[in-house]
Amino acid sequence: MKNKHVNAIVVGSGAGGGVVAKELSYAGLSVVLFERGGWVRYAAHGNDELTAQRSFPLACFFGPDNERYRRVAVDRQGNERIVFPNDWAYHNNAACVGSGTVNYGAMGWRFMEEDFTMKSTYGHVEGSTLEDWPITYADLEPYYEKVEWEIGVAGDDYQNPFAPWRRKPHPMPPFPHNTEAKLLEQAAKKIGYHPFPIPMLRNSEPFDGRPACVHVRNCVGFACPVDAKNGTQNTVIPKAIETGNCELRIHSQVVKILTDSSGRAKGVEYFDRDGQKLTQTADIVILSASATETPRLMLNSATNLYPNGIGNRYDWVGRNLQGHAYCGADGLFEEEIYDDFGPGSSVAVCDFAHNNPGIIGGAMLANEFIKMPYAYSSGYRPPGSARWGREHKEFQKNNYRRNASVRGPVQEMPNFESRVEVAPNVLDHWGMPVAKISGFKLDEDIRTAEFIADKAAKWLEAAGAYKIWKNIPGTGVSGSQHQSGTCRMGNDPQTSVTDKYGRVHEVDNLFIADGSLHVTNGAFNPVLTIMALGYWVSDYIVKEWERGNRFQ
Amino acid sequence: MDRRSFLKVSAIWTGGAWIVGVPTLSANPYRELTDSEAEIMDALADAIIPPGEFAGGKDARVTRFIDQQIGRYGYLQHDKELYKTCLPALNKNSRDRFGAVFTELSEDRKEEYLKAIEAGEYNNQPTNSDWGSYTPSSFFNTTRNQCMMGFYGSPIHGGNKDYVSYRMLGLY
Ligand SMILES: Cc1cc2nc3c(=O)[nH]c(=O)nc-3n(C[C@H](O)[C@H](O)[C@H](O)COP(=O)(O)OP(=O)(O)OC[C@H]3O[C@@H](n4cnc5c(N)ncnc54)[C@H](O)[C@@H]3O)c2cc1C
Repeated sequence: MKNKHVNAIVVGSGAGGGVVAKELSYAGLSVVLFERGGWVRYAAHGNDELTAQRSFPLACFFGPDNERYRRVAVDRQGNERIVFPNDWAYHNNAACVGSGTVNYGAMGWRFMEEDFTMKSTYGHVEGSTLEDWPITYADLEPYYEKVEWEIGVAGDDYQNPFAPWRRKPHPMPPFPHNTEAKLLEQAAKKIGYHPFPIPMLRNSEPFDGRPACVHVRNCVGFACPVDAKNGTQNTVIPKAIETGNCELRIHSQVVKILTDSSGRAKGVEYFDRDGQKLTQTADIVILSASATETPRLMLNSATNLYPNGIGNRYDWVGRNLQGHAYCGADGLFEEEIYDDFGPGSSVAVCDFAHNNPGIIGGAMLANEFIKMPYAYSSGYRPPGSARWGREHKEFQKNNYRRNASVRGPVQEMPNFESRVEVAPNVLDHWGMPVAKISGFKLDEDIRTAEFIADKAAKWLEAAGAYKIWKNIPGTGVSGSQHQSGTCRMGNDPQTSVTDKYGRVHEVDNLFIADGSLHVTNGAFNPVLTIMALGYWVSDYIVKEWERGNRFQ
Repeated sequence: MDRRSFLKVSAIWTGGAWIVGVPTLSANPYRELTDSEAEIMDALADAIIPPGEFAGGKDARVTRFIDQQIGRYGYLQHDKELYKTCLPALNKNSRDRFGAVFTELSEDRKEEYLKAIEAGEYNNQPTNSDWGSYTPSSFFNTTRNQCMMGFYGSPIHGGNKDYVSYRMLGLY
């Protein structure tokens, strides 16, 4: 079967891809937006913790499934293991229309100015490929604003003395605090921290035709029962489709980028839901398949001209895989501090995101969304606590409503050995080599995590916790829900994969717009930056297109 | 929304899902576990989550959760063999140490026995072929985790009868 040629193919309908599809179709380009998963609505999943996207002990309801997908995880000793999507070592995000933006916690952080200039701020770090971004906060600022106003963010950065400058306020007022967050807010002030309400990609009041948040607690990891959480699936993607220029092709697994003899991208090869192998051609191809699947596609598309994979002449595709070195502290309280007012996480401080004496980078700190009942049964207790039996049950009963956790996404120092490769002898359902993930955190990351965890513990102490313990991450490679960095942008083709507009150095009509582009991953959750990059990359493509450039 | 919103939203939905129950016409309501395996599983679930003011693992139907999940339509099919092998082994092996099968031990003895298993004291015993290719401690780790899923997870998977764990945590 032959598909009609289009102007642009976007692979992946998550955070980055959803934005690109909208921007290009608004500019009049014909677009096919590919998604390997389908639509996932609240009604189909509801409140089931065991298959939610947060701790998924049974399965990942928002995809991908355990039947057709697998990866290879390599531990620090070099042992390889085949892993399924609901194993932490798979480093999953999601696979459905909207991807993680359907079920995320929806924190909508702008990175700070320093997050784009880590190398010039902190200097060389031993063992790290730390680098400045080829763009600055000022370049991206208008695009952050676009995300906030088009997709919808509730917040008030003017309460955060460390917030980067902005031209326009958030379009919705910030979220109110629940009992726990109020307590933490007071405590933070007491010890000189500067608490403020977390910016959220969620409606604090009706916005763009959708209702205000109803404050359920099962928010992170779940879809929203009233559609008040703003992802690409209920904002930019429906808008792209409405133009009539964008076709969303779901249950379609893209397996290869096709190139012609001159090295230009011609289109993609994919399998539809019936397992038919098909081809789609286009003038431009944009990869937005996530920081794991985008490099996998490039590596799986090797040709005579690109023997190591597309864009991989200098072996940078798949390198510098990052997430965050999550750390923090937990505390127990005499009084009940839990209430049913969701979504849970709402108070944060940015006092330790940067400018920490003797420390490189840092993290914002925020209270945790929720510990669902099963998740609470398996963690969140002091080291050495009973894991089962009467004492364990008593702990659950007594402390579920009497605990608080503060967590911080420590900015990791990228390293060349943390990477996505393909495993030539392990194939997925469609016969393609799967992603293989290996690497580690640097000692520097752990040192920062210890520093940040200490600040979290002090916060809980000020809030009146009678027992406090810290969480320090292990040294294994990060990725998962905050995966990024595997196709970094840069000015030097020898040390980066794309130029500053997300264009793959060697291939004029091949772009990337997802977390892969991040040079560093900030002291914050990454999604607002990924969406802003979606607008940034699209803006370049559209401007060129309008001046007649067909990227040939 | 009031403070019950968390469960209100879930109740709307689970209203439909409850229908997927297991037929209970026969004396043995289980599809995968035999009577005696179910009896051992009940005892094990109660040792891991003991009854008290709120139901323990057995009355919360953790065994039904396991049976459903290791069955044809379950998420834990790959652990069927594990349960089929290790439940009988668990029962039988307690004779060596305590002179009685697991299900007949007192609560304290059960705890003592399981702690020894958890600590790996029964691993690598040459006489111990009952456990097949599994090690007793890894069986315990797996089933401990899965008992928690059955007790604290959504009732749609067969356990957490009447949301007992949610009530215990003050969520209902
Ligand atoms: C439970 C949870 C909570 C989170 N909370 C937050 C938060 O509070 N704040 C925050 O900033 N971030 C959060 N995140 C992370 C956020 O969702 C991700 O950072 C973001 O979605 C990544 O964007 P992306 O465009 O790089 O990739 P994705 O959004 O993952 O998009 C990639 C898409 O490509 C599709 N795809 C992949 N390969 C193929 C292929 N071969 N063919 C066709 N389609 C393909 C995938 O199915 C997917 O839909 C959370 C994530 C989860 C799961």
